[in-house]
Amino acid sequence: MDPTAEAKLLMTRRHFFGRASSGIGIAALGSLLGAEARADDALAGLPHHPPKAKRVIYLFQHGGPSQIDLFDHKPDLVRFRGQDLPESVRMGQRLTGMTAFQDNFPTAPSIFKFAPHGKSGMLLSELIPHTARIADDLCLIRSLHTEAINHDPAVTFFQTGFQLAGRPSIGSWIAYGLGSENKDLPAFVVMVSQGKGGSQALADRQWASGFLPSKFQGVKFRAAADPVLYLGDPPGYGRDARRRYLDDLGKLNEMKLAEMQDPEIATRIAQYEMAFRMQASVPELTDLSTEPDATFDLYGPDARTPGSYAANCILARRLAERGVRFIQLFHRGWDQHGNLPRDIRLQCEQTDQASAALVTDLKQRGLLDDTIIVWGGEFGRTVYSQGTLTEENYGRDHHPRCFAMWLAGGGMQGGLTYGATDDFSYNIVENPADVHDLHATILHQLGIDHTKLTYKFQGRHYRLTDVHGKVLRPLLSTAA
Amino acid sequence: MKGWIVLASMAAAWGAPVEFNRDVRPILSDKCFLCHGPDAKNKGIPLRLDVEAEARQRAIVAGDPDRSPLIRRVTADKPGLRMPPVHSGLKLTDREISTLRSWIAEGAVWEKHWSFLPPKRHTPPAPGHPIDAFVKARLDREGLGFSPEASRETVLRRAALDLTGLPPTPAELDAFLADRSPNAYEKAVDRLLASPRYGERMAIRWLDAARYADTNGYQFDGERYMWRWRDWVIESFNRNQPWDRFVIEQIAGDMLPNASRDQILATGFNRNHRGNTEDGLVPEEYAVEYVVDRVETTSAVFLGMTFGCARCHNHKYDPLTQKEFYQVFAYFNNIPENGRAMKYGNSPPLIPAPTADQQQRYDALNAQLGEVEAFLTSQEPAIAKAQQKWERSLAAAPPVWWTQPLGLDSAFPLDNLADLKAPAGSPAFAPGKLGQAARFDGAAYLEAAGAADFDIEDRFTLSAWVYADETPDGPVVTRMSDGPQGKGFGLHLDKGKVHVHVTSSYVTDALRMESEESLAAGRWYHLAWTYTGSRMAEGVRVYVDGRPAAMKTLAETLYRPLGNAGRRFKEPVRIGGGWGEKRRFRGMIDDARIWSRVLDAEEVAALAAGDALHSLAAIPEARRTPAQARQLRASFLEHAAPGRIRDAWTRATALRREREALERSFSTVMVMQESPVQKATHLLIRGAYDKPGERVEPGLPDFLPPLPAGAPNNRLGFAQWLIDPGNPLLARVTVNRFWQMYFGTGLVKTVEDFGLQGEWPSHPELLDWLATEFIRTGWDVKALHKLIVTSATYRQSSAATPGLIQRDPENRLLARGPRFRLPAEVLRDQALAMAGLLTEKLGGRSVMPYQPDGLWGELIMQDQEYVQSQGPDLYRRSLYTFWKRTVAPPMMVNFDAANREACVVRENRTNTPLQALNLMNDVTFVEAGRFLGQRMMREGGRTAESRLRHGFRIATGRTPRAAELDVLTGSLRYHLDYFSGREAQAEKFLAQGDSPADPALPRRELAAYAAVASLLLNLDETVTKE
Repeated sequence: MDPTAEAKLLMTRRHFFGRASSGIGIAALGSLLGAEARADDALAGLPHHPPKAKRVIYLFQHGGPSQIDLFDHKPDLVRFRGQDLPESVRMGQRLTGMTAFQDNFPTAPSIFKFAPHGKSGMLLSELIPHTARIADDLCLIRSLHTEAINHDPAVTFFQTGFQLAGRPSIGSWIAYGLGSENKDLPAFVVMVSQGKGGSQALADRQWASGFLPSKFQGVKFRAAADPVLYLGDPPGYGRDARRRYLDDLGKLNEMKLAEMQDPEIATRIAQYEMAFRMQASVPELTDLSTEPDATFDLYGPDARTPGSYAANCILARRLAERGVRFIQLFHRGWDQHGNLPRDIRLQCEQTDQASAALVTDLKQRGLLDDTIIVWGGEFGRTVYSQGTLTEENYGRDHHPRCFAMWLAGGGMQGGLTYGATDDFSYNIVENPADVHDLHATILHQLGIDHTKLTYKFQGRHYRLTDVHGKVLRPLLSTAA
Repeated sequence: MKGWIVLASMAAAWGAPVEFNRDVRPILSDKCFLCHGPDAKNKGIPLRLDVEAEARQRAIVAGDPDRSPLIRRVTADKPGLRMPPVHSGLKLTDREISTLRSWIAEGAVWEKHWSFLPPKRHTPPAPGHPIDAFVKARLDREGLGFSPEASRETVLRRAALDLTGLPPTPAELDAFLADRSPNAYEKAVDRLLASPRYGERMAIRWLDAARYADTNGYQFDGERYMWRWRDWVIESFNRNQPWDRFVIEQIAGDMLPNASRDQILATGFNRNHRGNTEDGLVPEEYAVEYVVDRVETTSAVFLGMTFGCARCHNHKYDPLTQKEFYQVFAYFNNIPENGRAMKYGNSPPLIPAPTADQQQRYDALNAQLGEVEAFLTSQEPAIAKAQQKWERSLAAAPPVWWTQPLGLDSAFPLDNLADLKAPAGSPAFAPGKLGQAARFDGAAYLEAAGAADFDIEDRFTLSAWVYADETPDGPVVTRMSDGPQGKGFGLHLDKGKVHVHVTSSYVTDALRMESEESLAAGRWYHLAWTYTGSRMAEGVRVYVDGRPAAMKTLAETLYRPLGNAGRRFKEPVRIGGGWGEKRRFRGMIDDARIWSRVLDAEEVAALAAGDALHSLAAIPEARRTPAQARQLRASFLEHAAPGRIRDAWTRATALRREREALERSFSTVMVMQESPVQKATHLLIRGAYDKPGERVEPGLPDFLPPLPAGAPNNRLGFAQWLIDPGNPLLARVTVNRFWQMYFGTGLVKTVEDFGLQGEWPSHPELLDWLATEFIRTGWDVKALHKLIVTSATYRQSSAATPGLIQRDPENRLLARGPRFRLPAEVLRDQALAMAGLLTEKLGGRSVMPYQPDGLWGELIMQDQEYVQSQGPDLYRRSLYTFWKRTVAPPMMVNFDAANREACVVRENRTNTPLQALNLMNDVTFVEAGRFLGQRMMREGGRTAESRLRHGFRIATGRTPRAAELDVLTGSLRYHLDYFSGREAQAEKFLAQGDSPADPALPRRELAAYAAVASLLLNLDETVTKE
């Protein structure tokens, strides 16, 4: 880290604990312990411009949802059914090792029906009826492409802007840049739910902070007795005892602070206090029993099952209400190499209603305007069938050359369909957008210039968008 | 920003002359080189500021800042002219501009980058301990001084935590305090350096640098076995292997003359990188990634350089071209490996790596076997005589065929149906090679359940006699799904060729080979196939009639086991079937056999002789082949030898079986190996695996010294170059990393980057002195540690004043002792030690201590389960904790441990609420607290006060002050009250963890002490090296 950035971080921490003219005294500490929750630990100079959005809810559809069956309608494809994908379309591009040895590449049109929805007439598949109802809130990108062809590098690319592990995730960058709006909760929260299709492995490093300080890493909320690891006091040990314990620990640590004058001790005292507050705030947050029936009606029956995608969507809303900066859900199970029609139905049953409900719910609460919702996976799927193509069954391999995602809220233009692909949903023919562009656009809406949010490591000023990325201005709402 | 220590621009603050390397180059590098640096040409930019001649010619007028285009451009008013340009996002501060001005005004003296020049040995500026002399000189310049020495308890605790990762015990403290001799501390340091715990402590950081883990990483993240390499590291530190040997063996131990197994094993260092096993990957792509990882790791760890930045283009800052990157790449590219790693286990090349214990048992078995064999040799005359008699008796007996019994899994004589199943009708039985044989008609086949239960890493041998009327074709002996291209393994005939395969997925995941020669119709052949479990073609031998057959490899991509994803592979053995009903064997098969070991050529030859014993016996002794002689001999010894001899033979057989089993239990370790022919290395355009550019040969970057005289231009030569005293970087980088361990920050803060973007050292003369001293002492690592910890600098009190904190928040000037939170591993280890729970056992397979349920299951794909260890293995030191890359141990992650995905050498420390929760509520610490409470009650005397004192001392190494004792007494009283009348709660609280509480202790009291002990484990002082 360069000295100025470092100084800024130190200053930030100082600021957080109350400014003291000569180091941190016990008096300052006292005021810090009673401090109100507020957002003031953003990096100096941020935001770079007035933000449209304050937070992000990223609904990561892990495995690679099929754009052809969900968003990218290709009515003419029926004519080519079963025929080999023309070489003029494929142009010798690389395939994964799973289909590279296939003798032929039979074109597999989607068996699902598409129809226009909303005032915008957005074309969406019958697989996602709930999403279709919010078409006018969606900003649909059909022209995304990525460099990676396998899951792990592709997810890593979306999460960190680079295919190989080791760089900070997008949530960490944003937490680093903008800090938290809630002193009792982490700035970056992650939840993982299990789908019913082919589940590919995921890794904790996908929300790690890379070379950024680890306090910016995503904190995983789990559907377990301890929603955050080690949150609960040991059995038999009550809250009143813990309070007394922390009082005594604080007294001893304050004596140490007086003796050593090491500001880390003050920080440690404060972190133990925050831990105590989290022990109350997190269970309150994750306890959905206080939600009215209407909520569950909105998000669907699954929402009553802890750990389900739908339940996590409700939690995402509750986290957004409490000012958590970056909320990321991962839903596994979109990797439909075979039996796609059956598995994608199951997958949509678990995600469609809750995804749409989240948009609707935030809108009702007036939170959609300053919350960006992102829905999408790490790549798309091939137009040709992996394995045998039959009347009602087919599979699809990974396809990085084009796929679709949608955004909503946070100043994104609703009802917009952006970009187009060729007749085979194989190559992009209009408005290509890459992963860096998406990142640049999300940062832009948060008031961050993606070229200026940097961190010096190993001699280099790193950024989320590496040396790439442009803000996708056509996606931004023209409304003031 | 007043008062901050900003080392790079210190000169201005001193009013001292500007130094190019310290003051100017960092500015140029950080703000200008991105465009006007080594990669300028590729960007179409005409001016380079990293090349002295060019800068002088076009940008600098020495002595005249105002006429220097450099100054004019960085101070230009017009935004279009001003440098750096707005779009770069870079900006020069006023102070930086004034530094540039002063430098030019003072004559613009240019220097080569400091770290590329050999270290200069400066005479310490004062007598006494050299470290202190250098540090004090700097403090004097700053108008600061040393802090007083820390208390003896504190110093001992500091040294013990640094050198062994464990706190001193009260007894060790007492002994040290009682030792009033002048060299008491030195003796204590020697004791710590001699402890086996020392090697474990040093290994922790080395494992981070070496990206060691117990799984392959990437998506599937299956288990691998590199712990034998990890143990080698620990042992190397413990025996104080000189650092140059430590380095050369890890880089190129396999290429040393007469390399020992340990030296080969050491090269596991560069196989610790991740391995991708994803189904659809392109192997060539990842083969490149592995080599890049080796170059990045090697350059970061041994050279403090970020070579990886030159993978796609010339380095933006350092004088490393893209071509030079690929020249270094070539040193590490010459290894016979596949870009797709094995899904489970180790990927070749690998070697068996018995532990010392195993080796001892192996040697003992060999010795015993030698004795038995010697006995049998000594009995030769008697044996020969008895055998002749026996041979004569054979003529009258019915025919008997003998085959090697050692490791026999199943035998199918095929004289009749026996207990075989015949799902498609029974074959006929007709006179065959050995008695009757089964005659197959192209529809019938036989099945046997429970045989040949092998997977892709097991060794085995299959053999059978075959006879075909037409072109030999069809499955002979298989264990595979019964269809074309099915999963499993088998010995087949394919239009006359012998075809063998181990298949997980026919095209993408299989080992398939076929014979060059074809078999003819109308005669008997003996076929045998041996497989070592290597998953590679080199592990396969096929014999036809006892002679090795030339084989062609059709596929060599096997990586997924048959019993994949937690599913057992259930297929039966089939004889004459196993490719589906359209392709069954036609002809005769006789005497099919399966062994769970690899038969050697002689054994196979004996099998293939195919003679019944009586006909062998009929051959005159002098005319018997060795195989025939051996068969008769073995058969005689087994069945007909006199008592003592037969016993000896039986024992020899048992010993061989035992040795075989022992060999199979050896863990392997992945190692480096040279391909016999140098693989071609190309520059990769933009770093892409599929865009090769010009071909390059192995070579070193120009800005560093050349290979030492006589060194070969290969990986071994590269290693020799690393450790050559003329290499300016290795010693500096190494001492700097150790310095970081002691003081929290390196003398060069950017421990991973000594290049142009790296930070100027806080104490350059000290760094160079330590580096030259390290070399002078023969790279003596323990001596280096001792030198550092015996300095007054190290032994200072770490108490600070607000002014000092303000002046030097990171303690770069060392006006006080180091004070920072202990590393993750040490935090857990010390808690276990304080609790008396720690298992002090060195090495072995990684263990699985407590971890919250379900962490793996939430993220991973299949059949990987966290199976918590039991008993003593729950309490091993943290460096033995199983490290799964995609779901790393949560406590390690919480406390900033390196991620083990790629090389990490910089230590990182944060202070978060999750850490507080971890230390208060993780069962590891709750249980440790209970045991510490128990110790307080048992060992701490009778009174509450003495017990609290005892606990406090165990935790912090010192006696509590009165005010501290008051708080602890209050806490104890509170908890006694709290648990009073709450028996059930106390029970629950005491039931945390697997080790039961001492039943002799009163529950309420124990619960109260456990709570107070937990508090002690959470004290800032306890978790901090003070």
